[in-house]
Amino acid sequence: MTLLEVKNLRKSFRITDSLGRTSGQLVAVDNFSITLKQGETLGLVGESGCGKSTTGKLILKLLQPDVGQIFFNGDELTHLSSKQMRPYRRRMQMIFQDPFSSLNPRMTIGTILSEPLLIHRLAPPRQVRDRVIELLEKVGLTAEHEQRYPHEFSGGQRQRIGIARALAVEPQLIIADEPVSALDLSVQAQILNLLQGVQKEHDLSYLFIAHDLAVIEHVSDRIAVMYLGKIVELTSATELYKKPCHPYTEALLNAVPVPDPNHPRPTALAGEIPSPINPPGGCYFHPRCPYADNLCKQQEPQLLKISDEHQVACHHAEQVGRYLLQKNLAQEF
Amino acid sequence: MPPRLVVKNLQSYFFTRTGLIKAVDDVSFTIDQGETLALVGESGCGKSMTALSLLRLLPEPGRIVGGEITLDGRDLLHLPDVEMRRIRGNDISMIFQEPMTSLNPVLRIGEQIAEVLRLHQGDTKQQALEQAAELLTQVGISDPGRRLRNYPHQLSGGQRQRIMIAIALACDPKLLIADEPTTALDVTIQAQIMDLLLELKQQRQMATLLISHDLGVVAGNADKLAVMYAGQIVEAGTVKKIFKNPLHPYTQGLLQCIPRLGQQQALPTIPGQLPDLREQLEGCLFLDRCSGPCAPCGHQLPKLEENEPNHWVRCWRY
Repeated sequence: MTLLEVKNLRKSFRITDSLGRTSGQLVAVDNFSITLKQGETLGLVGESGCGKSTTGKLILKLLQPDVGQIFFNGDELTHLSSKQMRPYRRRMQMIFQDPFSSLNPRMTIGTILSEPLLIHRLAPPRQVRDRVIELLEKVGLTAEHEQRYPHEFSGGQRQRIGIARALAVEPQLIIADEPVSALDLSVQAQILNLLQGVQKEHDLSYLFIAHDLAVIEHVSDRIAVMYLGKIVELTSATELYKKPCHPYTEALLNAVPVPDPNHPRPTALAGEIPSPINPPGGCYFHPRCPYADNLCKQQEPQLLKISDEHQVACHHAEQVGRYLLQKNLAQEF
Repeated sequence: MPPRLVVKNLQSYFFTRTGLIKAVDDVSFTIDQGETLALVGESGCGKSMTALSLLRLLPEPGRIVGGEITLDGRDLLHLPDVEMRRIRGNDISMIFQEPMTSLNPVLRIGEQIAEVLRLHQGDTKQQALEQAAELLTQVGISDPGRRLRNYPHQLSGGQRQRIMIAIALACDPKLLIADEPTTALDVTIQAQIMDLLLELKQQRQMATLLISHDLGVVAGNADKLAVMYAGQIVEAGTVKKIFKNPLHPYTQGLLQCIPRLGQQQALPTIPGQLPDLREQLEGCLFLDRCSGPCAPCGHQLPKLEENEPNHWVRCWRY
């Protein structure tokens, strides 16, 4: 069942000079369409400034899109007022990157977790405390943590609290924006496992935003790769790493450092990410692309289906793979 | 030839109001000319404090209470402050994680590079600026003449990190400390910066201390590796040996819990968390999280011992 459908989303921001006059336009997200099924995880990967976090905010309607439509459970959300949005907010929650700044330092964990329950009237006041303790235990904390303040917790524990807060309102969709990138390795694995565990238990759908391709590939069923505000490739996680069809995906795969000293060093992609205020003409990726020719400079490729599950925006998709580093990636020690 | 840098039984303690924290506890390692040693561990394990101890720049209330640090035979711990200042930036330089906060936002790039050269090498302003332009070319920045007149905010993260590298290399240091040099950068830019560091190291035969939590970066860029846990080195050796045959349960856990491309099964985790270093713990510091502790672990701290040539481990199992 399709839980979330997003069609042709576009969001631009006005660039102003020091006197407040409009001096340009930054298109943060353009022509963005995805669907997300119940219980599915869609990974959104890309480098800084590619629009992945803006996309998350647009879907939650924390930002209003310029054009495009958002459907949740078949209901269109695009033009709802914030009051009309309220019943839907409960169904879509967000987990943030920084577990330090996303919890109110003056509230105890108990208060942080009971607030959404009271606001959405999800538990009678007398049962709120029981429910809070149940939530804490679900994310691997204990009842004794209830009276403590956020500063008393480590980064991993705070991220657990963030997850408990999202789960409090029994959502169907969780948008996780870089939920593990601020965490240490051993803690990162714990949080990833926790996220996957609660997903199974509650049949949750995740939109998982991250810059780390190995993490994304680990948790996602399907992956959308973004570059300068647009999806350049969208396919299943296994296909993406076995047979990437966009040169940018290929470059990202090549750039992931592999924890094995016998493996070839990552190959660097030339050049920098262009400014989204002044993107290059034609295909946005052509200045950095090893496959680029004249066509790429002049004409922007459309996102096309090359198989049922695989969409790619590249004029030379069939050639891609030539520079892919041969990796025995899943090799065990 | 003797190693370029020798660190022996270094102890850096923090005397806080709530108790004594042994941030760096009996840490020893050596780095040869042209060699890269990676210090690996999670936040709070003491890897950055080890680096700051080398520069004698520990923040308050930290103090080096014991051990030896020698660079090319010179004892750094007993140098007068004036001499030490000459060593910093000249013989030892450091690149930090966050290239935005480590550059001065109100000074042009050129002035920031030239400052190092004028201070340490006594160049005139003109000479320094010419040399700065030369350095920018070496770190792969195009149009150096224009870039010298830019302010840090006009550059991207990757370019700023290149500037930091140019400043660090301005005086041709004997030892470069790179503290998480690519953590704040995008993955395609990370590969560029690590390539640049490798190339410069080979040209100049610097000794490099690479601090990183990313085992992928370490595998591709270091010769030797020391894994730190709670202020102590728990395993050390060549990168090849440790990745092939990790001995300490902590190293084993770290290597297993990395998500790898093409592998979707559940990740093994290391249970528990770092111990509170303010409590004076007895025995092995990893005890509470260890998968298979043995008899002496609870009351006696194991020593870092050579298990096979070039491979040391601090664990009672071996």
